[in-house]
Amino acid sequence: MLRVAVKMLMGDRAKYAGLVFGIAFTSFLVTFAASYFTGFMTRGFALISENPTVDVWVMDPAVRSVEKTTNMAASALDRVRSIEGVRSAVPMALGTAEVRFANGQFQSFQVIGVDDATLAGVPPPKDGVVPAALRTPDSVIADPGGTSGKLQTPLRPADQWPGGGPRLDVPTRSLTVGDELLVNDHHVTVVGKSEALPRFPPRPLLYTTYSNASRILLPERRRMTFVLVSAAPGVAASDLAALIEARTGLRARTSDDFKADTVSWFLENSEDVGDIAAMLTLAMSVGFGVTGIMLYMFTTENLRQYAVFKAMGASSRMLLAMIFVQVALSALLGTGLGLGLCAIASQFAVEAEYPFRMMWFTPLVSSVMVVIVSVVAAAISARPVLTLDPAIVFTGR
Amino acid sequence: MGSNNSLAVRCRSLVKSYGSGDAKVTALRGVDLDVREGELLMVVGPSGCGKTTLISIIGAILSQDSGECIVLGHDLQRMNETERATLRGGQIGFVFQMFNLLPSLSAVENVAIPLLINGTPQKMAESRAREAIEAVGLGSRPNVLPSELSGGQQQRVAIARALVHDPKLIVCDEPTSNLDHDTGVAVMDVLRGAGKKHDRALIVVTHDPRIFQFADRIAHMDDGKIIEVTNGASAL
Repeated sequence: MLRVAVKMLMGDRAKYAGLVFGIAFTSFLVTFAASYFTGFMTRGFALISENPTVDVWVMDPAVRSVEKTTNMAASALDRVRSIEGVRSAVPMALGTAEVRFANGQFQSFQVIGVDDATLAGVPPPKDGVVPAALRTPDSVIADPGGTSGKLQTPLRPADQWPGGGPRLDVPTRSLTVGDELLVNDHHVTVVGKSEALPRFPPRPLLYTTYSNASRILLPERRRMTFVLVSAAPGVAASDLAALIEARTGLRARTSDDFKADTVSWFLENSEDVGDIAAMLTLAMSVGFGVTGIMLYMFTTENLRQYAVFKAMGASSRMLLAMIFVQVALSALLGTGLGLGLCAIASQFAVEAEYPFRMMWFTPLVSSVMVVIVSVVAAAISARPVLTLDPAIVFTGR
Repeated sequence: MGSNNSLAVRCRSLVKSYGSGDAKVTALRGVDLDVREGELLMVVGPSGCGKTTLISIIGAILSQDSGECIVLGHDLQRMNETERATLRGGQIGFVFQMFNLLPSLSAVENVAIPLLINGTPQKMAESRAREAIEAVGLGSRPNVLPSELSGGQQQRVAIARALVHDPKLIVCDEPTSNLDHDTGVAVMDVLRGAGKKHDRALIVVTHDPRIFQFADRIAHMDDGKIIEVTNGASAL
């Protein structure tokens, strides 16, 4: 009878196609939306990701993410370095600055001050420039940070640093090596451009040395945002983090833990993420709703056929098995198609630099969710079949 | 009359109502009826007189409120739903007015359904289904879809489906009402032949006087009761 169930399913091609397409669409939507959301979150902790050699991030005890920070006293660096198990510890400063371009246009940048000695944390500059170029006084490496069209300077020298006010509508070109910027009234020179991991929220970045960052950022009593720690060989990062916390009273997190903290912080505190999550949840709910309703309708529209089976002696268990086979087959085909579609779409999304990241478990989770919705829809639609009065097969009833 | 006088169906004082309170409708008001093996009994009467309710109860599809209904030796009131389903699947065949063939299955696949429900392996079921289709005169078109068959041919497929598992009782609801005269007569010929050949009891609900000639007896119903039972020849 299971073969009959499959033939029933495939016999009505229009309904069958609609059902499979509906499930495929849901599967695609759920997987794509989840991957899109994961992409945002991944960009949220991009600073941590682009420092893969850091084992432990040390910060003010109140800091819960890489997005919202406060600084520590400079003494924190020495205190961390004094702990056994620490192979190296370098400072990192984060700050925001309004940066003026040569035509007077201004743009908010995140300034990332890296250790002067090691330059740890500088992404590889493009066009053959080496990070050591940052050791030139007042130098910066500019990075779009996931933005586009925000690193523009006037094309014509005559429009650069004009007297008598900004020239905002003049032709522009991309920033290049040798261009100057004004950061809090300090002139800096672009010595290189990089393409670090895109940020969420997107923002242009200026990489410079820690000492230069201290000079160009607005004065603060405390400047150091993070201490980046490498563990000595044989020392587990989690153990070292616990030790640093115990000894210094500062917050110390392994890279993975700090990424998780950052994601949690975004989920709890970011209105943007909340809005995105709400929209994605709505889209997924619609998808699930459509799937559930289509499965339910498919079964209920075939009630008369089930009544015929029931009249002929089919047991409730047999009818249930038929419904679940139909649902399982539809869900399997639909999910496969949806995931395939998502894989294709992901290529375009990645090429277009959308925040898209499909984790290994995302298709699995979405498949499980589609299966759950399908099973629930099957269970709901099974009820009218099980309570069906087979006497409806006779006329007049 | 059939080849012997054993009762296939025995109903006594059958009562069945639908709804409750002011909306209560009594469909059967104490029906007494016997159907013998090998007999073709027609049930006739005006619309709403309780014919369909009666065959639904005899077909073990519907439960009576009170009274006794013994079908093929089984007291239906003492059987649970599973036992009734087993009885239907094993010993009762159904022919419906609207044929109720599955549009996505071929004729042979439709006919094989009762066997599949009873657990017969697919190949054996289809083999027996082909024999049943040949027996109703459609041997040349076993693999066509119902939509490719005429009304009469579809009803033949439905009859083959009702016979394929060799039931002892066949319940037919208006089997000829959607067919023209000649086709209806041909269909009844097939049904009657299938009944007589294997000593099956046939109960046919009908409005169609053109087929009364096939009846051994005719039970006339009105207002939930059998008011008269005549033999088929006297109805002509």
